[in-house]
Amino acid sequence: MSKYYLGVDLGSTTSKAVIINEADEIIGRGITNTRANYSVAADIARDEATYNARFSVLKKNLEDEIKAKPEYRKYIADLESVFQYEQFKVKLDRLGEELVKTCDNFFTEKTLRETMLNHLRAIRRAFKPKIKHDYLYNDLGSRNQFFRDIVSEKYNEEVNKLDATLFEPLMTVWDKSISPAENERIKFDFKELVHKAMDELKEKYKNLPESSLDNKSVHFDAEMNLLRGNFDHVSDTLRKHIDDIAELDFEIENMTGTGYGRALLPFPQECIRSEILCHAFGAHAVFPETRTVLDIGGQDTKAIQVDKYGLVTSFQMNDRCAAGCGRYLGYIADELSISLNELGPLAMEAQKEVNICSTCTVFAGAELRELTNLGEKRADILGGLHKAIIMRAMSLIARSGGVFNEFTFTGGVARNPAVIKYLGQLVRENYGDNIKINIHTDSIFMGALGGAMFARRNIKADLPGAKTGKAVA
Amino acid sequence: MAKQILTLGIDVGSNFIKSVLIDYSDKPKIIDKVTEKIRKRNPTQVADEMIQSMLTRNKLKYEDLAYLASTGEGDLVKRKKGHFYGMTTHARGANFFFPDAKTVVDMGALYVRAVKISSDARVEDYKMTGQCASGSGQFVENISRYLGLSIEEVGDVSLQSKEPEVSSGICAVLAETDVINMVSRGISTPDIIKGIHISIANRIIKLLSSLKAESPIVLTGGMALNKGMLQAIGDQLDETGKKFEIKTHPDAIYAGAIGAALWGGFRYLKLRDKQQAAA
Repeated sequence: MSKYYLGVDLGSTTSKAVIINEADEIIGRGITNTRANYSVAADIARDEATYNARFSVLKKNLEDEIKAKPEYRKYIADLESVFQYEQFKVKLDRLGEELVKTCDNFFTEKTLRETMLNHLRAIRRAFKPKIKHDYLYNDLGSRNQFFRDIVSEKYNEEVNKLDATLFEPLMTVWDKSISPAENERIKFDFKELVHKAMDELKEKYKNLPESSLDNKSVHFDAEMNLLRGNFDHVSDTLRKHIDDIAELDFEIENMTGTGYGRALLPFPQECIRSEILCHAFGAHAVFPETRTVLDIGGQDTKAIQVDKYGLVTSFQMNDRCAAGCGRYLGYIADELSISLNELGPLAMEAQKEVNICSTCTVFAGAELRELTNLGEKRADILGGLHKAIIMRAMSLIARSGGVFNEFTFTGGVARNPAVIKYLGQLVRENYGDNIKINIHTDSIFMGALGGAMFARRNIKADLPGAKTGKAVA
Repeated sequence: MAKQILTLGIDVGSNFIKSVLIDYSDKPKIIDKVTEKIRKRNPTQVADEMIQSMLTRNKLKYEDLAYLASTGEGDLVKRKKGHFYGMTTHARGANFFFPDAKTVVDMGALYVRAVKISSDARVEDYKMTGQCASGSGQFVENISRYLGLSIEEVGDVSLQSKEPEVSSGICAVLAETDVINMVSRGISTPDIIKGIHISIANRIIKLLSSLKAESPIVLTGGMALNKGMLQAIGDQLDETGKKFEIKTHPDAIYAGAIGAALWGGFRYLKLRDKQQAAA
């Protein structure tokens, strides 16, 4: 039987889990937002990684079929997305209960309570089908958003349609309900849920439009017809394979916890490693020529130099202030009432970079408001803001020893296209054109990957010098 | 009866807009007051609507106002006659509440400002928190929202604390993570909130010391209404052995708007006298 290893990276904003096999190959990834209960966050990330691993195995088992019938790939991708929706639905109902409970306790006056409950019911009725539609048809599952973000966006949308006086009480009900609903691990029955997802998919494909006139692409039509016609056919074979993967047991041989919350993980002491070591190790494993790693996470930025074995030789990190990190971007997105994913693309439209003077996250939010009122374009302000983030990172890199070939950029912020653009610009300006910059699609999982690799090797490693990164209070 | 001299003061903060209508003749008194949360709305528009509805409610027209004065981000206020700096207006507001005030501390959404004032409410010296918002009202609001508290509940919850957990965070964002950490370690909401209040109180006391502040000290701004905050300041003063007399007023959040309205009245009379002398 194969052996598996788990790495859990409990960051300040997101918790990541990666499962690898004996060949250091990633077979499962799980990610969730970090909630107030670290062990719940770690459990959820791990559950997600296990589900993802099952789907990886499914793809592997179906390799021959996929080669023969390319539409299989689409079915499996769709299935995973609908499966996520099924989980989402259960959590949504749980949140619904919590909202009603909060309402009951918070509003003591009877008529007011009834009014609020009615509004809440209407809000839920409005956003539930929207979320389902987005999961089934708009690829919501792959957009790297979490339960809290998705629901809060929809909830906000509905509340904004109501009278302004209802905003404050309804948002308070939300604030009081989301944490308890989120801080609970729901045990899902994989088999039951995945079969439900299959039924849901069957409906979806049955309802796909007949070859339509408004779709200009011939290829699209052909693909649609193929998908619609063949699903019934494929369905039975697929279900058999699904039962197989549902029974799989991913026995974890060893595990490592890392990240900001690592000290509070329910792991034994010897299974905990510094995130600096893990990030460097993970990034180095994917890009073996890497000598410099930049990791921008939720609340810290780290510039790390590694040797040819992937071990850390020096590093620098921000310690007094979180400006320039993921939270900073989250704060700004919130200020603009857009989602974090839209921020980078909007900044890419900048014609110029407006200078942002504030270093502090909270102040930058106010400055952005001011600049908007003065008539600066949002894209141009965001351009300046993204550039400022990279300038701050460049000074950390310089202090850690500079950039050496190859340079790998990791962490959640590495998914932002505007950050990547300015990083490329500034690295070339400061260190010349020959630096190879690596950014992996799994950049956010590098810490967890490094952790899993340490778990497989079961080796001890120490950071250079006495400084061991940020201690957890 | 002498004709009323009506002045309106509007204080555009980063979180709330406050406006007051004052009768400046004889002994100035407040006729009407209102606060409104900005919450992602266009502040220019909110300010405009607020002034308009206040005028309507009091059966007034723009022309009936002797002076319309703004403060804070008041550049956004249309049809204002004059604009005053936040420090001068808070000084005047504190002096209006307590004529013996020597120092005023404005605890707003983004900054804390400590200002030494003369007996006629002129600014003599000041100190403010500069580059970081970790001592601000916005910070308290973010944390409370995370903990599921409405802003009205924060003060009372803080008073329930038995063993406050002081946050080490120097940065508002890092402190937020500290709070997530605390929740994970099972620290109660009152103890967390009180801890936050204590760390802000310490910042304020440091500010007062470096200003060489004199008693009585008047607290103004939105956070001055927070009972938990006031208690924390009291506790920390006892702890450091500093003998400051702290005063606050139920209308503390209006201090800036009141100050603007009062300075507006003062300027109106000056202008009127000059015109009469010229005539």
